[in-house]
Amino acid sequence: MLSPAELSLLSRLDLAYRRPVSGLYAGERRSPRAARSPEFADFRPYVAGDDFRQIDWRAYARLERLMLRLYVAEEESSLNLVLDASASMTVGSPPKWPAARRLASALAFLGLSSMDRVAVGVLGNRQLRTPHLRGNTALARIWTFLEDVEPRGVAEPSMLTDLDWPRPGMTVVISDFFTETSWAPAVAGLRRRRQEPLLWQLLAPDEENPSLAGDWKLIEAESEQERELTITPALVGEYLANLAAHRAGIRRAAEGAGGRMLASLSSQPLEEQMLTGMTAGVIRR
Amino acid sequence: MSLLAPVGLVALLAVPAILLLYFLKVRRPEVRVSTLMFWRPFVADRQANAPWQRLRASLLLALQLLAALALALALVRPGVSGAIGIGGTTVVMLDASASMQATDIGPSRFEAAVARARDKAHQLGPGQEMAVILIGQHAELLSPPSSDPAVLDSALNRARPTGSEVDLGEAFSLANAVVAGRPGASIVLLGDGHARAPASPPRVGARFFYEPVGATGENAGIETITRTAPGTVFVRLANYGRGDRDLKLEMLADGRLADVLPVHVAGNSTSDVTWTGMAPGTQVVEALITPGDALAIDNAAFLVTGSPPARKVLLVTEENGFLQRALKLRPGIDLTIQKKADYKPGTNYDLYVFDGWVPAGKLPDPALVVAPLDGNGPIPLGNQLNPGLVLPVDPSDPITQDVVLKDVHVLTAARATVPSGWRTAIAAVDDPLLLIHEGEPRIAELTFDVHHSDLPLRAAFPILVQNLLAYLLPGGFENQVYPTGRVVTLATEPTARSLEVQTPSGKVVKLAPPFPAAPFTDTQTPGVYTVRQQLSSGVRSSQFVVQFEDPDLSRVGVGSAPFVELTASANAAPPRGTLELWPWLAALAVALLATEWFVFHRGP
Repeated sequence: MLSPAELSLLSRLDLAYRRPVSGLYAGERRSPRAARSPEFADFRPYVAGDDFRQIDWRAYARLERLMLRLYVAEEESSLNLVLDASASMTVGSPPKWPAARRLASALAFLGLSSMDRVAVGVLGNRQLRTPHLRGNTALARIWTFLEDVEPRGVAEPSMLTDLDWPRPGMTVVISDFFTETSWAPAVAGLRRRRQEPLLWQLLAPDEENPSLAGDWKLIEAESEQERELTITPALVGEYLANLAAHRAGIRRAAEGAGGRMLASLSSQPLEEQMLTGMTAGVIRR
Repeated sequence: MSLLAPVGLVALLAVPAILLLYFLKVRRPEVRVSTLMFWRPFVADRQANAPWQRLRASLLLALQLLAALALALALVRPGVSGAIGIGGTTVVMLDASASMQATDIGPSRFEAAVARARDKAHQLGPGQEMAVILIGQHAELLSPPSSDPAVLDSALNRARPTGSEVDLGEAFSLANAVVAGRPGASIVLLGDGHARAPASPPRVGARFFYEPVGATGENAGIETITRTAPGTVFVRLANYGRGDRDLKLEMLADGRLADVLPVHVAGNSTSDVTWTGMAPGTQVVEALITPGDALAIDNAAFLVTGSPPARKVLLVTEENGFLQRALKLRPGIDLTIQKKADYKPGTNYDLYVFDGWVPAGKLPDPALVVAPLDGNGPIPLGNQLNPGLVLPVDPSDPITQDVVLKDVHVLTAARATVPSGWRTAIAAVDDPLLLIHEGEPRIAELTFDVHHSDLPLRAAFPILVQNLLAYLLPGGFENQVYPTGRVVTLATEPTARSLEVQTPSGKVVKLAPPFPAAPFTDTQTPGVYTVRQQLSSGVRSSQFVVQFEDPDLSRVGVGSAPFVELTASANAAPPRGTLELWPWLAALAVALLATEWFVFHRGP
């Protein structure tokens, strides 16, 4: 699914969490808890009951006050990847689903490289998910899982809350977000479950800039609803305005839940997708 | 309202055709999309979306139907019958007389008249047309009736003013020919009232309008210049305006300024100046008044003081005092008089004049033969007869220019038939009187004995003889003065191989070869014209002068409308015409189609 060149590129990148996360095991993510580790965090005055071993005697010699050295706890985090596997993801030239699958695989690779536990779920006709995976075999299992998924049916925001995410971490939703229903409640639900939401909108180029003109019959992929249209430049202008307003609503939903939102095209190579993530501060070197 | 092309009603079938297309369901290509929620439902109502659906109100359909209707109506060419002003032909006559060169209105009267004519051409309505006549020395139809402003513009671009008087009668004749059969036509004269009107008011077959062009009558010019004594030049300056003028008279000798004389000329009067400073040997004196005024063409005058080159002329006659004196009037003539018994062939002369006799054998040339009654002349002459009334001559013929034959009678003349290669210059009712051989050799023959006519007693005789000498004698034009617009015949030397004329503006006109040289007609500009002949012995350079000398044209005040006699057709009630509406309907159809295109592409 990913070429050696892409894997080489991804090996130099990492996911950027906004908040420290707390995991069960040690990892490479900064934890909100203090612990013994090689990375110094801060000083604090000694209070009764503290462990004597953590007193910094050199500070006592200079200040004649008992001070405790605090260290950053580095623990694992959980990365939850949710893909929109509805029928609308098969639309476009090139279609969005293969691009979404490759993007999810790349993000999973980034998470696993940082010792995160990674789980993948899909929204659609069947709400499937993998358990949280870690280790050398995790990436292969995720790829197998994604290759077995066939997009069809309808994806609704409420399905996001149906997926159970017991561990705190980051939840990345890769979708076109083309639903009449608002995404704000579902994204807010992620926040309540201590998830940092990242909404990644993936569109086909002809959805970003429609090239249709004249008389057409449009068939909606998920509902099979038909609409006969005479597409004029004015109508295309209205389409673009509606799309921009819809995207602004998704961005508000993400940022309202302390998360982020970014967008890319299915025609963009993975390198450009990662560059989009780096520009938005989601991915770092 | 009438329909001029009812067959165009077939085009109305476009209306049901458009409606039919609206009833037919359009077949749309299908495309799958992720969502419809961003696409507002919109279907252009130019066709049905279900077969045979009920016709709905639609702006596009309405525009298409209206456009088809307008187009169909345009094709049937509806017309509204009306009175004058609808349609019609306008003949614009441009006065090109010398006074139209006046610059009292910029850039000149003539240019202003052309601009007015151009405006009329661009304001032509549907069904209207315009013709343009230039009133020059001869009336010229610059453009036949046309409704195309580009054609009329092109014709007006060719219009040029003349340097002489023009004939209005000929222009009216031409205009009448143009408007014949065109009811409702009108004739418009754009001029300053100086075109020469016919003796009797011309008959005009259309409504006539005179639009005067000009602003002032102030002008001064040189009326006369002549040599009164060796080294003395007399100049008469005329002030044709009302106000007094203080002028300077510049005297130029052979192109170089020789003197400047101040002259005061009262309004509507003349002042005489005598200049005694002319150096010996001066060939051409030019008098020039400054500062300039509205009409520049009369501000300069030329005087040829050099004598024409000596020419040997042989007159063979028993006795003809009239002819002898007329020949001697020309300066530079070395006249030899012989009786026919003394004539010896082979003697070289520049011109031979045989009176009442011609020698046997080949006639030497150039020659003027007067009534060779023995029958040996170049034209066989028959019995004597009374030729009848002498007919008026063509004033544009160089042989008969300024020759007035109104009071001339010929008692007897020999019957003659005009052979090929000859033309008649003077004729009576029953017989030609003067015949000219066209081209080389230059020969003229009178068919009557001048003693059997009162012609030698008239002023026309010496003028006729001078014209004949100018035509027959090689170099007869040299140092001569011609009025502007005059056709000049340039008789070349027998050995000339080429002939060209340089005008005062520097333009060179090649006239020969081929020989005989064509008459020189470009004499609208006053000044000194240089003639160059390439001879076997070298280049012979000579000159003649063209002079503007018409006080009537120098009085540049705007004249009144010429008297004309309107014919019955011009006085008749204005004919009813038909105003065709198709141009407006076609324009409406185009506008509706443009609106439909805009509405369709702009969307709802």
